[in-house]
Amino acid sequence: MTPVLSPMVGKILNIQVKAGDKVQEDDTIIVMEAMKMEIPVVAPGTGTVKEIKVAPGDMVDSEQVLAEIE
Amino acid sequence: MPKSRRELATKLQELKDKTQRGDEKAVAKQHAEGKLTARERIEKLLDSGSFVEEFMLAETPSTDFGMTERRKPTDGVVAGYGKIEGRTVFVFAQDFTVIAGTVGAAHAEKIAYCIETARKIGAPVIGLYDSAGARIQEGLDVTRAIGKIFYQNSITSGAVPQISAIMGPCIGVAAYSPALTDFIIMVKGTSQMFITGPSVIKEVTGEEVSMEELGGAKVHSEISGVADVVAQNDEDCLQQIRKLLAFIPSSAFQEPPRTAAADPPNRLIDDMETLVPEDGKKPYDVRKVIRRLADNDEFFELKPKWARNIVTGFARLHGRSAGFVANQPMFLAGSLDVDCSDKASRFIRFCNAFNIPIITLVDVPGYLPGTKQERAGIIRHGAKMLYAYSEASVPKITVYLRKGYGGAKQAMCTREMGADQVFVWPGVELAVMGAAGAVGVLYKKEIEQAPNPEDMRRQKLEEFTERFTGPFEAVSKQYAHDAVKPEETRMRLIQALEMLATKQEERPRKKHGLMPV
Repeated sequence: MTPVLSPMVGKILNIQVKAGDKVQEDDTIIVMEAMKMEIPVVAPGTGTVKEIKVAPGDMVDSEQVLAEIE
Repeated sequence: MPKSRRELATKLQELKDKTQRGDEKAVAKQHAEGKLTARERIEKLLDSGSFVEEFMLAETPSTDFGMTERRKPTDGVVAGYGKIEGRTVFVFAQDFTVIAGTVGAAHAEKIAYCIETARKIGAPVIGLYDSAGARIQEGLDVTRAIGKIFYQNSITSGAVPQISAIMGPCIGVAAYSPALTDFIIMVKGTSQMFITGPSVIKEVTGEEVSMEELGGAKVHSEISGVADVVAQNDEDCLQQIRKLLAFIPSSAFQEPPRTAAADPPNRLIDDMETLVPEDGKKPYDVRKVIRRLADNDEFFELKPKWARNIVTGFARLHGRSAGFVANQPMFLAGSLDVDCSDKASRFIRFCNAFNIPIITLVDVPGYLPGTKQERAGIIRHGAKMLYAYSEASVPKITVYLRKGYGGAKQAMCTREMGADQVFVWPGVELAVMGAAGAVGVLYKKEIEQAPNPEDMRRQKLEEFTERFTGPFEAVSKQYAHDAVKPEETRMRLIQALEMLATKQEERPRKKHGLMPV
């Protein structure tokens, strides 16, 4: 299980995948907003999305677990 | 009965032949681990047949702890000189098939000799590391000999380029030799670097960790920032060294090699508009922009997976070598933090030491906010970028792609920090802070007291943006030499590089500055 971590403090804008989706390393999983920019959060490795732990509008901390990939 | 000259020559030749053939079993073991031998590596690194081996028959004088039986010619390192693309280089390759490549006094003397001689003749020095570590059987003599390597690495820094390839273990105190050089390339899967090994860690802290987890290529290219390039295997590693060397001169007193420029200098880049979205909120991959600006779309990136919010590397423009430093909006919004300041300032200083012009592409929202960064010393680390850019006397060209705010803008080489040429793209926003934030502070009362605060905010934002942040302010007040269209950027960079090729700029006389390390 590989956690997908928030790179910085910010707000979740949208979620591009759902549990069960297959993802490749560096695919965009979630888009955040911080410093007036949209920040893509990418898959740290190739695998299947196990769980999404946040929803659009959520404020997240740096290094918070946003999703799990198996 | 003393032997004749001819008999001695034959004997010496036999010894050399035997040394070159190596120990069959040890060579097979090296190959089984997916590694080439030291000699095979040198052969592939250098121009064919150009290697001249030196001190081949050097051996350890030590007779303690069974060294009389174990000692062998080369003392575990193959050293000498040869050519890469016709340029002389010094090279030493630790040989794991001879006494496990351990560093004894004779071994270390050979390495120190290579670095020292490379410096004297003005040639790059390349080290291929593959060693079980310091040879403890030789006691204190070894640490003294390793100290000589560190000393040579340090005083040679900035005089001639030093490139290290980690092609096996490079552990304990020996890891500091590559650390003192300019670039470290690690081979995926077969190389490790660490100061204290897994057994010591277990003994002292109880923590269990494998060699690969502790200091493999992934760790050093993504977490510690020690490695500049990760190679897929030995052959790839040796090719990467040749590629890297093509961008850099042989010494601080030479210009970087210039290639015949097949890619036309006046070429317009039609898709540049689409590579960088006009909407400042949308991220993009700035590496694509660099590739499109470069000759033949070629960009040699350094530390690509560490401190990814800034991009550093070499490319060519009309055959001239240039170092690129660019904010990367894909990561942390392209903001500046501790690690990326380290990464960029080290690269800037390398370029300056070796006469490589620096091209800075700016799209920076500011410094990464937060207690973590402040406590990690962003003041101390961020200052390195200001220092490195100011210190650099090579041609410096800055292009503003979209935005540059506040102090972070200064850290990206403004005109006042010594940029020789500054260009802005038409949609640029340059300001002391983001327009929305500035309006919120400057017109707080007006907005609050307006019958419709949102309308007032929008109106003030429009006024403020046009008056203070756009391209007109930048060009009319001479912050920038010109506004250039995205598609013309390559052409303008090439013109500027050519004009600046003869740039000379002195710095105040002193022993050396005190970079805020």
